[in-house]
Amino acid sequence: MTALAVGPTHGALVVRSLAMRGMQRILRRPSIILPTIIMPVFFLVAFTGSFSGITNIEGYGTDNVYNWMTPYAILQGVTFAGVGAAGMTGEDMEGGFYDRLLLTPGSRLPLMLGPIGYAMLRALIPITLVLVTAIVLGGADLNGGVLGVIVLYLGALGTAAGFACLGLVAIYTLKSMRALLAIQVPIFALTFLSIGQVPLEFQTGWLRQVSESNPVTPILEMLRQGFLGAVTWDQTWPGIVAVGVLILVFGLPAWFQLRRMAP
Amino acid sequence: MTTVTAIDDRSHLSTALDQMAELSARSIRNSLRNPSGYIPGLVFPLMLAAVYSAQFQRALGLPGFPEVDSFLDFILPASILQSVAFGATAAGADMALDIENGFFDRLLTSPVSRASILVGRLVGSAVEAALKFVVLLAIFLLFGASVKSGLPGVVVLMVVSLLLAIAIGGISLVLALRTGSQEAVNASFPLVFSTLFISSAFFPTELMNGWYQKVAEYNPVSWIINPVRRLVIEGWSWTDAATAIGLTATLGALTITWATFALRSRLRSL
Repeated sequence: MTALAVGPTHGALVVRSLAMRGMQRILRRPSIILPTIIMPVFFLVAFTGSFSGITNIEGYGTDNVYNWMTPYAILQGVTFAGVGAAGMTGEDMEGGFYDRLLLTPGSRLPLMLGPIGYAMLRALIPITLVLVTAIVLGGADLNGGVLGVIVLYLGALGTAAGFACLGLVAIYTLKSMRALLAIQVPIFALTFLSIGQVPLEFQTGWLRQVSESNPVTPILEMLRQGFLGAVTWDQTWPGIVAVGVLILVFGLPAWFQLRRMAP
Repeated sequence: MTTVTAIDDRSHLSTALDQMAELSARSIRNSLRNPSGYIPGLVFPLMLAAVYSAQFQRALGLPGFPEVDSFLDFILPASILQSVAFGATAAGADMALDIENGFFDRLLTSPVSRASILVGRLVGSAVEAALKFVVLLAIFLLFGASVKSGLPGVVVLMVVSLLLAIAIGGISLVLALRTGSQEAVNASFPLVFSTLFISSAFFPTELMNGWYQKVAEYNPVSWIINPVRRLVIEGWSWTDAATAIGLTATLGALTITWATFALRSRLRSL
């Protein structure tokens, strides 16, 4: 008779199993991951190609547009990865598997952390792919060295976790994959109304005000610093706080919705 | 005998027109009943226009950027054509749904005119495009955009929008008839998006570099958008009007012909 793990060990096992189940799902159905791979690379190519001329404006911050757009494309990739990972929970709900999961004993928290872990694993794919494409295709500079790359990966993974929480709030509330359609507009707003394509100084009127208070702006500053120069604490800590805010703001409602489903 | 044949021909034509009108009305009703189909096509181009106008204002001073009062004027044609293009693929998606749920087969077993099956869908796309055009133009004008060529320019922009909806609708019908799958038709959306983006729609090709600039310059979307944009930001030109309408009409004729062959091919395979 095998002894059952209980407490935190059991929780960690459930989180790992759910995250790995998501990765196996990708291996079985690679079409699931295609948008997460294709769209950020397309955005990188399209934004750098279409807007390469804006580097000629004084004060843009870099003469290589890839240095500016690569973190933005990565951000979009991890957004897709995060929300897409929450889609696994939606599929499980529609298929009835989630009901069986809710019947199992133990804490509910691992059921939420599992998809978040899956989102972070899944996010590694677009981060790496966009980074390699930017270096090979556009000669993106890694002025911040290894530390810049580490900050880029950690910040982007945290962002993926935040957006996975957003996807989970929608899924837990509407209990359907269609919930993901409903959050397209807030996702679009969060990513576009920021310093994604141009610095704050270039923005005017309402956009500047929104960008200044958008949590994605400090996250992009954190991710971008390694491309533009050395990594500094001043540009890192606001990004860490913003990632924390994203996780809290979306994670707490997701947790409460899950608790309402299965106290 | 000749009189009887003439009456039969007239009657046949009248029936075919009635069928086209019925199927067009059905297609329009379907579109209107499905806000999730047309609302994103209105919201996203508007949001993109709002964001780009507020962030690319400084780019207007770059050498190579056309002389324009505001970025909103520059992006107006692109936003309208983007909205129209996104909605036009619904013609194919709805046709694929008809194939999937068996309505298409029931249509074929009835004595309905084969042309009306295609026309009905394309008219639906064109009507949706016209409505979007009116809404978007009104919003742009409200926020200070202007069309330098006045009413004639607005008419050309509307005709180009309708023809583009028919042209893209034609391609989506080909996909629907070849695959019979909504998923396959919807998968063409990124293609429409990327074709639009890798063009002069959002930024002048003169300010692009390398291979991307070449692709954008040879992209037919640029050939359509550039003359339409000149009508908006410079003023009236017969050459620009004829070029824009001529190109989209040719594109529409080509895709409708292709869709007709796809329909014949599907009918032969049944």
